[in-house]
Amino acid sequence: MNAIDTAIRAAASSIALKGVTKSYDAAHQVIPPMDAEFRAGEFTVVLGPSGCGKSTLLQMIAGLERVSGGAIVIGGREVQNLEPKHRGCAMVFQNYALYPHMSVFDNVAYSLKVAGMPKPERIERVEAVARMLGLSELLARRPSQLSGGQRQRVAIGRAIVREPGVLLFDEPLSNLDAQLRHDMRLELADLHRRIGATTAFVTHDQVEAMTLADRILILNKGRIEQFDTPKAIYHRPASVFVAKFIGSPPMNVLPVTGDGSVLRLADGQVVVEAPLNGNFVLGIRPEDIVFGTGGPLKARLRYREDLGSHSVLAADLAGEVVRVATPFGVDIAEATDLSLSFPQARLHLFDAATGRALPGAIGAQ
Amino acid sequence: MSAASQALFANRWLPVLLVTPLALLIVVFFYVPIIQAFYWSFFLERPFGGGSIFVGWANFARVLADPQFWQAGRRTLLFMVVGSSLAVLIPLILAVAADRAIALSQPARNVLVWPKGVAGASIGVVFAFIFNPFVGILAPLNHWFPGIWNPGIDGTDAFITLIAAHVWGGIPFNFVILLAGLQSIPRTMHQAAAMDGAGPWRRIFDVQLPLIMPQIFLTLVLEFTESVTSAFALVDTMTQGGPGGATMLLVYKIYTDGFAGYDLSGAATQTAILMVFVILLTSAQFAFLGRRISYER
Repeated sequence: MNAIDTAIRAAASSIALKGVTKSYDAAHQVIPPMDAEFRAGEFTVVLGPSGCGKSTLLQMIAGLERVSGGAIVIGGREVQNLEPKHRGCAMVFQNYALYPHMSVFDNVAYSLKVAGMPKPERIERVEAVARMLGLSELLARRPSQLSGGQRQRVAIGRAIVREPGVLLFDEPLSNLDAQLRHDMRLELADLHRRIGATTAFVTHDQVEAMTLADRILILNKGRIEQFDTPKAIYHRPASVFVAKFIGSPPMNVLPVTGDGSVLRLADGQVVVEAPLNGNFVLGIRPEDIVFGTGGPLKARLRYREDLGSHSVLAADLAGEVVRVATPFGVDIAEATDLSLSFPQARLHLFDAATGRALPGAIGAQ
Repeated sequence: MSAASQALFANRWLPVLLVTPLALLIVVFFYVPIIQAFYWSFFLERPFGGGSIFVGWANFARVLADPQFWQAGRRTLLFMVVGSSLAVLIPLILAVAADRAIALSQPARNVLVWPKGVAGASIGVVFAFIFNPFVGILAPLNHWFPGIWNPGIDGTDAFITLIAAHVWGGIPFNFVILLAGLQSIPRTMHQAAAMDGAGPWRRIFDVQLPLIMPQIFLTLVLEFTESVTSAFALVDTMTQGGPGGATMLLVYKIYTDGFAGYDLSGAATQTAILMVFVILLTSAQFAFLGRRISYER
């Protein structure tokens, strides 16, 4: 651990959103009033499909977008009306936004130069960051002479060199190829463990969210669907939206009807006994479905994806496609009938009208 | 010829045919006169045709010994440096403002392009009127301080008028080029600089200007060469080189020497010298400035 690590760990501040809203015109609210707290030193991932307002949220925290209402409190200080430079945030952009006319050194040192730090100190600080990120050999180069991963590291170096209280990432890995994205993910996780900066990380990639986050904030149309640990989000999704968004392949959701004693699928097959009346949405993860002879539910295999480590079967069940993950590469001809059973402990039940989870009704919740 | 270009043109004479009209224009109106000028600069030409005498470097010796040539040269240089700098600087300021999307920048963007459609001679006529000491916009100045502004009598005033007209005519093209350059800078670049703590003014000098150096360079090179030649229409319509030769730029001197004084050899010699000067100047710009702006986005 060197001086920069310690300084950033010490500077880490919490971010509190208090009724923050954003609208570009009177008729349409991109973000309805939102309350959330990003804890100091935590890695918070803001996850959602494109257009859900996650980047807007990040830009409002950074000060690049004005809030339409509410307050943003960073480290106990209201910042929503401050210039970006007075908020103590640093940001890594999706396209890195490195200055093409400056060397790597100048890119990293620019914020220090603007802040008026004396040159010897500047050099010392940049070199410490460069050592930390493995950029020492590249300081004299221009961004155009770097690979994608190296540019990414320069962008991170530029962000952490100021020892910010908050580190913001706007889909930083989406421009990298699959292998590099995987490597950078590990590097980011490692970096966070070392420097412990409060981090807000925006992405639409659930794998990034699951692997990096201390807590995930899932956004849908500007509203918070769920804000919890990756584990809780995976095992106890708070809504159908979250259930369908997380997991690869995602959770199966099937409309069911309760007659007071059992829940039935659309074609009348009984899934589970439950003293419920009305319409519900039933969820079960592909890997939780027990597949084999003797199961009570009859489905018809449509196709099979063999991924080596496991296969994913797609089957027709009561007019819906149900995905089943099997841990072994079974050999089944297509268009055969399957018998499935849904273990009751693994079932999730959601309200059909609101899409919210009904914890404790049956099964897993 | 590669397979690809043959695929584009079935007939091998078709491309040649398509290029011919333009090539013919360039040869007839550019290369032939230039070669002619260089040729004449080594001969003593009779004003009304009919024989010429080879005189070697005598024309050059005569022109270079002429104090009026040097004076016109100095004025051309001054016009070039001041006129070109302003003709790039003013559009640059306008482009930065327009890029910032300040109030009215949308209509201003259109209005600023219009002068491009106005011929040099027309600009001259308009500016002669605008700067007229009795009815022009500076006429009130004369009312309060009699005699302070009169381009018809005062050489400096005439020169200023000439530069103003030149700059005005140069604004549209340079503005469009520079604005396009500014707008090609990604938004995140501004955001990154803002996050780094740079305010709007600082960003102009640290981010925007360095990133549009290629465009600034282009406009400067074009302005420098154009200011030497395109000044002719302005001088001809506004001052005819006066008062007292104060606006006698080299291009206009060549014209008066050649077509009013019938000193064809002298005019050709000056043309040759001017051309060599412009070529050297442009090469120097590429050598010293061009090298410093090479980077990839």
